[in-house]
Amino acid sequence: MLANLTISGSIATLTLTRAEARNALSIDLLHELHAKIDEAASNEGISLLVLTGAGKSFCAGMDLKAILDDPSAPAALLHTLADLTIKLRSLPCVTLAKVNGAAIGGGCGLACVCDIAITHADSKMGYPEVDLGICPAVVAPWLVSKIGPGRARRVLLTGGLMTGQAAFEIGMVDHLVPNVSELDAATDELARRLATGGPQALRATKGLLNDLDGIIGTDIVRRGAELSARIVSMEETRAALRAKFSSTASKP
Amino acid sequence: MIQTEPRGRVLIIRLDRADKRNALTPKMLATLVSHLDTAASARALVLSGVGSVFCAGFDLSLCRDDSSALRDLLTGLSRAVRAMRSAHCPVILSAHGAAVAGGCALAIAADIVITTPDARLGYPVVRLGISPAVNAPLVRAAIGDGPTRARLLDSALITGERALSIGLAHELAPDPAACEDRAIRIAEELAEKPPHALAFTKRWLNELDGTDNPRAFDTALEVSLSLHGGVEERDRLEQLWAARN
Repeated sequence: MLANLTISGSIATLTLTRAEARNALSIDLLHELHAKIDEAASNEGISLLVLTGAGKSFCAGMDLKAILDDPSAPAALLHTLADLTIKLRSLPCVTLAKVNGAAIGGGCGLACVCDIAITHADSKMGYPEVDLGICPAVVAPWLVSKIGPGRARRVLLTGGLMTGQAAFEIGMVDHLVPNVSELDAATDELARRLATGGPQALRATKGLLNDLDGIIGTDIVRRGAELSARIVSMEETRAALRAKFSSTASKP
Repeated sequence: MIQTEPRGRVLIIRLDRADKRNALTPKMLATLVSHLDTAASARALVLSGVGSVFCAGFDLSLCRDDSSALRDLLTGLSRAVRAMRSAHCPVILSAHGAAVAGGCALAIAADIVITTPDARLGYPVVRLGISPAVNAPLVRAAIGDGPTRARLLDSALITGERALSIGLAHELAPDPAACEDRAIRIAEELAEKPPHALAFTKRWLNELDGTDNPRAFDTALEVSLSLHGGVEERDRLEQLWAARN
């Protein structure tokens, strides 16, 4: 099992449980996340869904290493991720990303799809796609929505990672605790407060916000998947990725 | 419950119900709209509140005996924020102490917002079964889509300091009196500038951020009104009154 959904009262928690791979998004994990979100969507008693990762990482992003040798795999992976982001955003309940550790690339994208995000000052977040020769096209619409087009331009074109503190300062997360040891308690308190909202008032408000930012109603995220897949399939990209993975193969 | 004070070319409008933390009634909102609509000679408007807080939001005690009061309040608020947006001259607002729910909605409709560092701002209404959707077009125009979700879906209030950092307010003043003084000072400075330039610039900004679109306001109001009279709203307001007794 790569993902786990637990429900306590009106609060659901969806945990990525592929800790040994830093919760990297393999096609199997993405399929499990689809199934779990479908399950949450069909449960009208849920007011809030908390998304988090088991172990030290939130989500290390797309599992690119596993797909290098199969030319058709990247497109499937990217489209499955694109559809997952739309499914997550379309959930009628409020979603809260508990960014417990590294949230990288597609992982950072999932955090930005959630309505609200919390992290600690030392987590690592960001979009190093351009450093790898690839294009963060699926996650870009969600980041633009989260932090605005001006800041998103800088983040996505700069690549690299930032601390949770810096992510808070640019609005990529909404709540910050100074230390990872305080994250559980602060998230529980925030989750309890969010779940006190009237379910219908929350759904109506979120529904209007989804209409207003207009992402779900267009094919922009799926077009992002096509663009990203095209770039991953280019020979220079695959050569760059192979070089990257062979140089880091000896690291744990 | 609304007072006006012309000061040179500036018109100061104050919510004047300090004993109720300037809680809004349908009448106050209608009066506010008529002052905004008839202030054609003013070169700048200041909106403030008498006392230590700008505005605590709707006077929900009205909804106890009058089931249509909330409808009138939401509709009145929608008209008031549109009138602030469509005023030809800039509106500077003193959000001292607190700008909560409907009060925060008025603040975010202003062109320039001054607040105090420990002021409380936000929308603690979903817990009452009320949707702040009515204000969503202006909130996202002011602070962007991401922070809008965090503010409208969460009943918590934020401080003036935090409001400044997310762009909900533009400047801090140390205390309520200084806050209104600063708003008036800014209005007096703007009143000296060519009024047509300010009017055209304001109208262009409204067009750029989509807040010139009456349909966006209509849709947002409809979403808030769609919950009105429902079981969730009624149960939660009854709990509120029970807790207050």
